[in-house]
Amino acid sequence: MYDLNFFLQQLSNGLTRGSIYALIALGYTMVYGVMKLINFAHGELFTLGAFFGYTLLVTLGLAGSLGPPLAIGLSMIMVLGLVALAGHLLERVAYRPLRHSDRLAAVVSALGASIFLQNAIMLKWGAQYRAYGADLLPNVVFRVGGFNLPLVRLLVFVAAVVVMAFLHAFIHRTRLGLAIRASAIDQGAAKLMGIDVRKVIALVFVIGPALGGLAGLLVGLYYGQINYNMGQLYGLKAFTAAIIGGIGNITGAMVGGLLLGLLEALGEGYVSVAWKDALTFVVLIMILVFRPTGLLPERVAEKL
Amino acid sequence: MRKFLCLCLGLAIGLFLLGPVSPVRADDPIKIGLMGPVTGDWASEGQGMVQVVEILAAEINAAGGINGTQVVVEVGDDGGTPRTAAMAAQKLLSSNVVAVVGTYGSSVTEATQDIYDEAGVIQIATGSTKISLTGKGLQRFFRTCPRDDEQGRVLANNVKSLGFTKVALVHDNTSYSKGLADEAREIFKAIGVGEVYYDSIVPNDRDYTVSLTKIQAANPDVIVFTGYYPEAGLLLRQKRELGFNVPMIGGDATNNSSIVEIAGKEAADGYYFVSPPALPDMKSESAAKLMATYQEKYGTLPSSVWSVLAGDAFLVLVEAVKAVGPDSAKMAEWLKTGLKDFPGLSGSITFDEHGDRVGEVYRLYKISPDGQFVIQ
Repeated sequence: MYDLNFFLQQLSNGLTRGSIYALIALGYTMVYGVMKLINFAHGELFTLGAFFGYTLLVTLGLAGSLGPPLAIGLSMIMVLGLVALAGHLLERVAYRPLRHSDRLAAVVSALGASIFLQNAIMLKWGAQYRAYGADLLPNVVFRVGGFNLPLVRLLVFVAAVVVMAFLHAFIHRTRLGLAIRASAIDQGAAKLMGIDVRKVIALVFVIGPALGGLAGLLVGLYYGQINYNMGQLYGLKAFTAAIIGGIGNITGAMVGGLLLGLLEALGEGYVSVAWKDALTFVVLIMILVFRPTGLLPERVAEKL
Repeated sequence: MRKFLCLCLGLAIGLFLLGPVSPVRADDPIKIGLMGPVTGDWASEGQGMVQVVEILAAEINAAGGINGTQVVVEVGDDGGTPRTAAMAAQKLLSSNVVAVVGTYGSSVTEATQDIYDEAGVIQIATGSTKISLTGKGLQRFFRTCPRDDEQGRVLANNVKSLGFTKVALVHDNTSYSKGLADEAREIFKAIGVGEVYYDSIVPNDRDYTVSLTKIQAANPDVIVFTGYYPEAGLLLRQKRELGFNVPMIGGDATNNSSIVEIAGKEAADGYYFVSPPALPDMKSESAAKLMATYQEKYGTLPSSVWSVLAGDAFLVLVEAVKAVGPDSAKMAEWLKTGLKDFPGLSGSITFDEHGDRVGEVYRLYKISPDGQFVIQ
């Protein structure tokens, strides 16, 4: 029963799930790296992405008028932009005024923003489940060896990996990326070197939410069903992924997300669904016991 | 002016005194009580009950009444709460009803059972599915709705009669879903349907591909899912994505048109579920007639099956009065022994010695290729 095909199938199940966790985890880790703040409203930005996608593809019927491939590409770009804008506004309203106050004030503000956004989404789009059409993407299933690989799943995984590769290159190969890394290490010193830290923080609050929003759209496309409080569960999972990888470390968030997805899939597959979360968190605790700063901790010299 | 006032007062007193001494006619109307949640959270249910029963009463009266006597429906509003229900019961009793139809919620019914029993009045509950209600030895309590354990039995029996022999049983760990799964599991054992998989899923997880892969490895010939429609839709959709073609069957919590939207028509095609039938699917002639009248009067259909079951309770009471006269002791006896296969709106009605309805209310539905719920 539990042969190689079963293992490979579960591996692909886990990687798909994990790539979504990774995309969301990036938002947590980037903000934490620069601001030392957990953005609790990040899960809601993710939900916002899913609902913007719903409005574009289903309510406005882009998929019908432009044809699915073009509509999905366009809505991806628009969702990235819209959620980035929402993230920017969030930073302006909820975090910037508190930059020089107590750390606790910012955390409370983040929690408040999370509750506000969740309820705003509920009032705008309703409390019921919303469905993306199942005919948005063709149901093509590749048979690789003995297991099935749906095209949608491949798309989700590839989209996530491409975006993460771009981000990695951006952080490590560009001057702006250098500024982000410098601000993460020491904001005071970065300022002395002529880096506008305020702009860096604003930038981080544009990129992180955009990636979260994209993950929301991918969840809508892949699973086809969204609701206003979906961000809670995904936010929690992604936050866990960021911790596993070492919060503040971008590569760590990617590794942590994929690892969490795999852990869940294998725990669920080989033990029991009821024990899945227990097993996952036992592993999390083990990692934190032996490597308190996560698998890839942020090194002082090479943060982010 | 004074004189005029005195005259008025005199007239009023005269009329007041005249009232009670007006002659009692031989054909005093027969009063049947209807207790339902006309206000409160379940108001739509209660209003549906009143509408259905009043349509039926008007029809009977137009056709000459019961053995020539007119029937009057006295409505008592239970507000959907046990406390208000106790007052509604007192109100109905003080207007001398021979029997009471209602009510919807199990806890509300429970609060009034003893009140009616002590007064010697028949009560026929219409939406109260809690198992223990009929287990108290009350001689004048009946119900036209199924019991909570019926769904599991119907689900299991349908799985067998559809020819499936190896089931994968999946629930979502809510008390409703796990209860139904365990109920079905017992019956599968008893009727010899093999179980190859039994596990839960987590609602809101969205990704059930891992469970589905595991189920696929267990190689069942049907998946029995006892949870709600959002997860059922996702299971159908992901099952199709994985190229795993095995039929799926569920309970009444999946009776929601959103399941087709979530799964997509192709994935939802062929999904079975058991549920009490909607009024358009009740095959009886009387149901068709009620549907037409209701549609004409209110421009829509009754929103749920429970109001139709109130109509059934009213009809069997009318039948009992016809047979033995308006005497609740004789009527209760007759309902248990004399009433056999009465053609009600929701199908044939017979009561067992506990007052439970014999036979099954639940029906099997299948989703058609164009996304319609078709009764089997």
